[in-house]
Amino acid sequence: MNIEFIDIVQALIDGILYGSTYALIGLGFTLIFGAMEKLNMAYAASSIGGAYVGLGVSVLLSLPLYAIFLIGPIGGGLLSVLVYICCFRYLPSNNHLAALMASIGGLFFIDEIISHETDGSPLDFPELGIFSEAYFEIEFSDMFLGFRGDLIFVMFASFLAMLMLMYLLYRTRLGLATRAVSQQPIAAQLCGISIHQTNSVTFILAGVLGGIAGCLAAASVGVISPLLVLPLTVKGLVVTVIGGLGSIRGAIIAGLLVGGLESVFLLLRGVNERDIYVFLLLFVFLVFRPNGFFGAEIDRD
Amino acid sequence: MSILKVDNLCKNFGGVQAVNGLNFEINEGEIFGLIGPNGSGKSTTINVICGLYQPSEGSIFLNGKKINGFKPNQCVDMGISRTFQNIRLFGDLTVWQNLWVAWKDDRKNQGSWFSNWFGKSESREKLISELLSFSGLETRANDLASNLSFGEQRRLELARAVASKPKLIFLDEPAAGMNKEEVKELRDRIFRLRDLGITIFLVEHVMDLVMNVSNRITVLNFGKAISEGDPESVQNDKAVQEAYFGQ
Amino acid sequence: MDYYLGVFQTIGVHTLLGLSAYILLLTGQVSMAQIGFFAIGAYSSGVLTVIFSWNIYPALAFGALLASFFAFLVGFPALRVKGLMLVIATIAFSEIVRLITFNFVWMVEKDGIMVGAEGAQGFREIRYFTTNGWDSSQVVLLIWIFVAIVMAMLWWLDRVKAGAVLRAVGNDELAAQSSGINLTTVKVAAMTAGGFIAGLGGGLYAHAVSYVDHITFTILMATFAISYPILGGTKNVFGTLLAVIFIQGILIEAFRFLEDWRLIIFGLLIILVMNFMPDGLVSIFKKSNPGKGN
Repeated sequence: MNIEFIDIVQALIDGILYGSTYALIGLGFTLIFGAMEKLNMAYAASSIGGAYVGLGVSVLLSLPLYAIFLIGPIGGGLLSVLVYICCFRYLPSNNHLAALMASIGGLFFIDEIISHETDGSPLDFPELGIFSEAYFEIEFSDMFLGFRGDLIFVMFASFLAMLMLMYLLYRTRLGLATRAVSQQPIAAQLCGISIHQTNSVTFILAGVLGGIAGCLAAASVGVISPLLVLPLTVKGLVVTVIGGLGSIRGAIIAGLLVGGLESVFLLLRGVNERDIYVFLLLFVFLVFRPNGFFGAEIDRD
Repeated sequence: MSILKVDNLCKNFGGVQAVNGLNFEINEGEIFGLIGPNGSGKSTTINVICGLYQPSEGSIFLNGKKINGFKPNQCVDMGISRTFQNIRLFGDLTVWQNLWVAWKDDRKNQGSWFSNWFGKSESREKLISELLSFSGLETRANDLASNLSFGEQRRLELARAVASKPKLIFLDEPAAGMNKEEVKELRDRIFRLRDLGITIFLVEHVMDLVMNVSNRITVLNFGKAISEGDPESVQNDKAVQEAYFGQ
Repeated sequence: MDYYLGVFQTIGVHTLLGLSAYILLLTGQVSMAQIGFFAIGAYSSGVLTVIFSWNIYPALAFGALLASFFAFLVGFPALRVKGLMLVIATIAFSEIVRLITFNFVWMVEKDGIMVGAEGAQGFREIRYFTTNGWDSSQVVLLIWIFVAIVMAMLWWLDRVKAGAVLRAVGNDELAAQSSGINLTTVKVAAMTAGGFIAGLGGGLYAHAVSYVDHITFTILMATFAISYPILGGTKNVFGTLLAVIFIQGILIEAFRFLEDWRLIIFGLLIILVMNFMPDGLVSIFKKSNPGKGN
């Protein structure tokens, strides 16, 4: 196949648009890390789980299409807070290892429940109605660049969700409490803020973001499958590291970057090899920039 | 002859000047005291010299060799060892193993790489049993370090610092939380180390101890030396009294 | 009878995998890379016996050495980061290796048929044992001889200074460094040794079952590997063995009738153990530790 420059630019555009879902997942990881300095390995599983809940409830109650995008995030939030209660709430707060292992247990628990209930086969996920058919073309110095309508919707919805999150974090008392707990947990407690309450809220927020990301990703692909969970987990982690653990803007930028590069790798090397290069990117960062784009100096375990 | 020379040492964390232009020189075989109010930069001074932090400015010389930016383990190889303010033992190891980890054979009968890591040696057994009796822990040699009492843990940490056969030991508040009797024992141990020819750098809040054992004292406040000299002259220094009690 | 031999074989291989994670856990590192080293050992020794017709022993040795070489290489960048970042880095490494085996094609014609690794189809016909007349009990015996050797080595390690140093680094890196220990040396050495053991396990596994593919090397297996020493505790090597018997022997094999519920239970089990015994299953046998209560 003869790949021209315009193909690469086109792949980059598609990838960056789709990468906004990675940005959401990375944001969720980083939000939880920022609050507790712990990794929630079950996060991508609860996000996809949320999308499944949305799909299941909508089909069972024969609700219209857009209901999935309301119920999915709610399901994601509920699953996420459930993960918090089972894998974080009652574990010793200084034992990062125990929480990590417990959430890996949670990852397999959710993943296997989904596999069990669906017999491991993918389900059709409703496409985005008129958005799926829409297609825009822009002429840019002799090049015709296309924009898929559904991907534009994905990006738009993702950024809306991010803006809502920013508003909650930086403009409300709730966000103030969350940030207080993440910076000085003991001092925050002394000021009458309940750590478990704010952590639960953080998990719900992250879960809602994850539910949105899960629904958007499934909608733009057209199917949902338990096989999405592990790659999404690893890619979410890669995005989080590249952006810098705990950095919100880092996660957003890294999500778009990973989406774009992934799409270019797909074009150049094919679907089987694509992820190798995405994961190698992580090692490049570990060697040359271990704290990611915006990460603070990490000296903890 | 000076064993350690610190020249214009500075360390800042962000905008905070923890240590600001510190100069001193320690002679071989002496006990050097560093005192000062809380937050005056005493522990930071130790941490910078022992390689935990890079100095922001200035130089550190050990026996005339510059050791700026050495890692903690390289400092140990150079003959510096230390204890920590909040005791840091290897809790899952026995008392004996704690000493074993830090133990180093004399340079002259340095065995092969293999025997150091995997073998037995008589000089090791001898040194460790000496250290156990030095710290009064003979009966607890096979107990886990985490099961020791507070006083025993302090004694073990001191013995572990000696196990690497240092020429210079930094003691970071070794008497914190001790009763009178234990402080007296500690004083005797410090003298015994000095008699073995080890130079001692003592950071301490318990004034009884510092004033009794030190040959020379430097007083630190806000990262700067405000007074130095023998214990008596420091005690009578106006600036020191102001730093401790206010005006 | 063959069924039980199969169970013993699985327990033996998983014990090697668990011990390779155990030695790293002693230094306080949680590595998800063990399954990557396992895969390297499996594929490289398979290539040697199948394509180059090597004898099994040098092939196993080469596989283990190659895996430990990669462990050594991964060690340096990965050890610049600690704790959770190391977990992420090692997950990425294992996934890279898995995807490479997914794309790895190296086939030659032998006695009229094509043999070797065939990308997504996996690596079939690793038939050294059957063509050389081994029966399955001999294969199981070989695996367990290696398990016994590795366990004896690790047992001995705890009786020499090197073992105490590994645990010292796991207890308190800063205190270890201030006692004259070079952290990089110790951690990279542990990583290299862990890679060797995992690579050996991978080579044995590939030849014992005669077929491996990328599905063998997923994050699930990496989780198995690290969960054995975590559940079994790091007090001694037998904890890991007990955990393998518990998970592979009882949960996976004895409860075969539960079918895919077993993996759901595995997930649940980890959650429960971490909630009620965060120091591992063995902690219930440990006498209470007054110094650690607060």
